[in-house]
Order: sequence, then structure tokens, then C-alpha cells
Amino acid sequence: MAEIVVNETVVGEDASSARSGVWGTLAFWGLHGWVVAYCFVMLSAFFIQFVEGEFPCPLCMLQRYGMILSTLGALYVIMQARRGTLTTAGYAQGLGMGLIASIAGSSVSVRQILLHIKPGDSGYGAPVLGLHLYTWAFITFVIVMLYVGLMLMLMPRGIPVAPPVGAAARGLSTAIIWVFLGVIAANVIAIIFLEGFAGVLPDDPEGYNLIDQLTGR
Amino acid sequence: MILLLVIGLLIWRGASRGSVLALWVVGLVLMVGLFKYHVTSHLDLSF
Repeated sequence: MAEIVVNETVVGEDASSARSGVWGTLAFWGLHGWVVAYCFVMLSAFFIQFVEGEFPCPLCMLQRYGMILSTLGALYVIMQARRGTLTTAGYAQGLGMGLIASIAGSSVSVRQILLHIKPGDSGYGAPVLGLHLYTWAFITFVIVMLYVGLMLMLMPRGIPVAPPVGAAARGLSTAIIWVFLGVIAANVIAIIFLEGFAGVLPDDPEGYNLIDQLTGR
Repeated sequence: MILLLVIGLLIWRGASRGSVLALWVVGLVLMVGLFKYHVTSHLDLSF
């Protein structure tokens, strides 16, 4: 019994020393960078969808699912760090969620890249900065995988530490979280309009099914 | 997608680890299921 207590003490000291210093702060804001980056990617996809009138195909939406599922891992860690309940296990769980979702999302991206890989195929949608959106999605998933690997290498030194309650940085963290939740909510509304009463997206969507179904077009 | 929003809100509200992880796994399985549903054609490629 005494031996167990000693072991717990050692782990506790290890964890508390890991929570101090610049690494913990960098890890905390690195997770926010992850959230902000995917919010930017999905808002850019909305710009292409609503402003340029290019509708997302089922594989495009599945890649958005992958991005959101992955970012939920980052959110899971951030929220525990803010509450002061983050443990090494909790951190590893969040990183694992991000990694597994990135592998799933990148599988969808690879499928879509291979669909259009043959010479003469112009691909789905207009390219952005020379690459199609699914290729960019694949690159972002690989970046997340590399980030997770790096964070695991920094363990336990890089366990995220949140700024104290009342600090301005904490308000920024809250704002970023709400933007992310807003982006998910916007995707929920968009998918309802795209699918209509069908429940699934058509292979090559050309409009908002819900509006067409309600107006009888 | 609604499930993903629910998971996000549960994480924000501080729900238990078990419920968050279980729902997240359900979301992942649904995503893989949708992927399987939408992948209907065989890729005629060889490397």
C-alpha cells in the first residue's frame, strides 16, 4: 500500500512540474491554433459554397466531419486544461481523438484524390492556390498527425496549461471555442438544407434539396 | 453533424469523459459508415 502511495506521489510531482513553464503555455495555444486553423478552413469552404456557388459533394462533407471530429479532440483537452482537471491520460485521449479522426478524414481525401488522379480529369470544383480542396484537406490532416506526434514526444513536459481565470487570454480562448461551436452549428444548418428530406447528399449536388422540396421544384 | 454539435456542447459543459468518448466513437463509426455508403464505384487504378 505504501509503495502505491509513493508511486502516486512521484507521478503527481512529475505532472505538477510538467504543468509549469513555457511548454505548457505553448501546448495550450498550439491546440487553439489547431481549432483556429480548421475554423478558417471550414469558413473558407463556406465562402466557396455560398459566394462562389460550388456545392460540397458527399466526400467533401465527410472531410468536414473528419476535421470537426479531429478538432473535438483539441477542444476536449482545452476544456479540461481550463477547468484544471487535465491529466496525462486526458491529454493523451484528446490527442488520440485528433489522430484517429485525421486518419479517417485523410482516407476520404485520398479516395477523392484517386477519383480524379487520371490524366485529363479536371477534378471536382475549382482549384485554390493550384490545388483542389480535397488535396488541401489531405495536407491539413497530415499536419494534424505531425502535430499530435510532436506533442506526444514532448510529454509530459508539454501538458497544456490554461491562463488564470479573469486573464484576457482566457477570454480569447473562450471566443475561439465559441467560433468553433458556431462553425459546427453552421455546418448542421448547411447539411440540413443540402440534404433536405433525403437524409443523404446526392453524388453531385446542384442546389439545396430542402428549398427545392419545400417549393416543389 | 448534429451529433458532432452535441459532442462539442457536452465537452463545453464538462460532461463525463465516458459519455464524450462514447459519443465521439459513435460519430466516428457513423462517419466511416457514411464513407462506405457513398463509395460505390471501383477505382480502375494500378500502381
